[in-house]
Amino acid sequence: MRTLKTAKTLACGALLAGTTLAAAGPAHALTDDGRFLIYLSLSYSGNSWQSEAANIVKALAQTPPYDEMVELVEVISGTDPQAQISDYESMIAAGADGIVSFPISSTALNRVVRRGCEEGVLFFMYDATVTEQCAYNISYITSGFGENTAQALVNAMGGEGKIFLSRGVPGNSVDERHTNGAMHIFDQYPGIEVVAEYYSYWDDRTTQQETAMALAAHPDVDGIWAQAGEFGAIQALLQADPNRLVPVTGENSNGFRLALANPDYQAVGLAGVSAGSPPAQSGYAFKLMMEILQGQREPLPVGERNIEYPLPWVPADAVTLCEGDTFADGCNAFPEGLVPGSFVTEVFNPVLLPELSLASALEGEPTPGATIQPLPADVVVAAPNEPGINCQRCEPPADLYSLTKVEPTVEPN
Amino acid sequence: MSVDQRLGEAGRMPADTRGTSRLSGETVTIGVIFALTVAMILGSRVISPAFGGWNQAETILYLASFLVFCSFGQGLVILVRGLDLSIASVITLGGVLTTTWLAGDNGDLVFILPAILVVCTLVGVASGIGVSLLKVPPFIMTMATGIIVYSLCLGVTRGTPRGYPAPVLNDVMRAELAGLPVPILVLAAFVAGGFLLQSYSTYGRRLYAVGNNPAAAHVVGLPTVRVTIGAYAISALCAGFTGIMLASYANGATLRMGDDYLLPSIAAVVVGGSSILGGKGNFLGTVGGAILLTTLATILSALGIEQGWKTIVEGGVILFALMVLREQVYEALRTWMGSERR
Repeated sequence: MRTLKTAKTLACGALLAGTTLAAAGPAHALTDDGRFLIYLSLSYSGNSWQSEAANIVKALAQTPPYDEMVELVEVISGTDPQAQISDYESMIAAGADGIVSFPISSTALNRVVRRGCEEGVLFFMYDATVTEQCAYNISYITSGFGENTAQALVNAMGGEGKIFLSRGVPGNSVDERHTNGAMHIFDQYPGIEVVAEYYSYWDDRTTQQETAMALAAHPDVDGIWAQAGEFGAIQALLQADPNRLVPVTGENSNGFRLALANPDYQAVGLAGVSAGSPPAQSGYAFKLMMEILQGQREPLPVGERNIEYPLPWVPADAVTLCEGDTFADGCNAFPEGLVPGSFVTEVFNPVLLPELSLASALEGEPTPGATIQPLPADVVVAAPNEPGINCQRCEPPADLYSLTKVEPTVEPN
Repeated sequence: MSVDQRLGEAGRMPADTRGTSRLSGETVTIGVIFALTVAMILGSRVISPAFGGWNQAETILYLASFLVFCSFGQGLVILVRGLDLSIASVITLGGVLTTTWLAGDNGDLVFILPAILVVCTLVGVASGIGVSLLKVPPFIMTMATGIIVYSLCLGVTRGTPRGYPAPVLNDVMRAELAGLPVPILVLAAFVAGGFLLQSYSTYGRRLYAVGNNPAAAHVVGLPTVRVTIGAYAISALCAGFTGIMLASYANGATLRMGDDYLLPSIAAVVVGGSSILGGKGNFLGTVGGAILLTTLATILSALGIEQGWKTIVEGGVILFALMVLREQVYEALRTWMGSERR
């Protein structure tokens, strides 16, 4: 046992020395049986979104030929950046080839990430980002969720009325970005009045409770702009008065999409659009990293590693139910009963992740018979600079909040 | 803690004030809490014209009901000098079982609901055995059972609890009977039952006895171990029930659904005039505490102030309520009323 340990330490040391010399190149610190040592570093487990994102990576790692090439180790760090820093340190020390991670903080991890990069570890962040430029950020954050959904809400309301803002986690840079984008639109319409603004922590139940409280004060609300947790907002509206629904924009829960497409709900006023954070980002990040590790794809230069994931955009009339357990034929929601209402539907991407099935997202199981398909050669879309989100001292583009998914149907004043 | 120490505690009894007034501290607390709540509701009309009416009270009672359910159990555990930190996990367990076992089907509701409650109760029995027989401090014991239960939920569901509660449960949460929402009627029945159990049943009196002085309770032949285990079992039962109601309300379960109830359940008990050290308290006070906390949250939510200020005001009001409702204030009040009469 002891000799084995010593041997490992020696091997580790040799590898570290080697990789330090190789500097920016991939580490290739293969494990004993010649596999890439990849860490999946999560913030916390326990909500549908986080679990689905992790399950996708686990399923891909078991899909041939990755099942023969990858040793995947999952580490859950909780909500404390300090814990993730020390977990990163351990992974670097263990000779990780790559770390696929949901980073807890956009700035606190920078130092350890930079150190890891210097030792040749590839960092692929999904959904949340870090401002350290040597890490790859694969994220939808820059894709304009806030402004596009806000415009869709304004359109649905005819440019006038009282609205609630159901926000995420106070002080979080993603919540700030979304809300700033939305307010950029709402501020152009004097007829839009924000009568309540509350933090729902991206959680269905909290959203339902907070929305119920806001409805007690403002039963005459005309629209709700929500971040993740929107399924709870629908529940609260139904609870308060099932015969008076209002336009709601939100993220990608299955329950919300089913509600949007429900003709009974539409008849009493529900309209809106489902957009927002897709768990599929983790799978895209993982595949991109594997292609770089295997030498199938050139590493991107430092400073150009912010990659945008396209914003899912599903208005009510675009909701189509999936027949089977994959996103075949452009379907984008599952029948009630197959998945819970809080299940985040955007787990699949027929172009980027054709290997996945429902069992991949729910259980982390590979799809029988599937093999890893290469990403399209020109897949990488550069993300714009967003200070504090994906870069530190940088200027955002002038058209940061320009609309990409929807046109104003009501003229701003 | 030795018997001497315990007797020492009992020795620090307040001066005998029987006869000076028929007004007990408990009654004052409960009265003040409910008066404060009503005043807040009526006063909130200033903030929103939709406030100050029955609709607002209905929303508050509705949202407070979940807190009342789990606070009852927490109150019993605190009464016997304990603390139940497993409440959040057991709520989650109740919710997750509701959606996975029922899976959106009304069929076996009458069998499955009791089964869920039995499973949750067993968690409480385990905590109770650890505390009373193995002498593990309640804080550690319930934290451990809580972590284990939560981890089991996480492992079995792999992060995504499946299924829906039975449609009939969701309908019940939205139904009205005689002009009142059914959950509020459930709340009323629960409060009546809980109050009778805690204040008028033999078991309730035994809880007070064990909480006041476990050594003495043991000496006079009370089954202190069983009484203590019972308190934890009832707490877990109530938490499981809260989980069922929450899952029915939200039409689904999440693994974090219980988190928002752990500290508020303790706060409701303490604001309601119970002693955090055990042996003293009244369920009606806890009910008032839960409603007061919910009212406060509802009004603060409508104020439209920054999140930071919101939580500062919330903390401030809770602190204020506790300061005002302290024993010394009653003492002063009693003495004052006594001197008035003379």
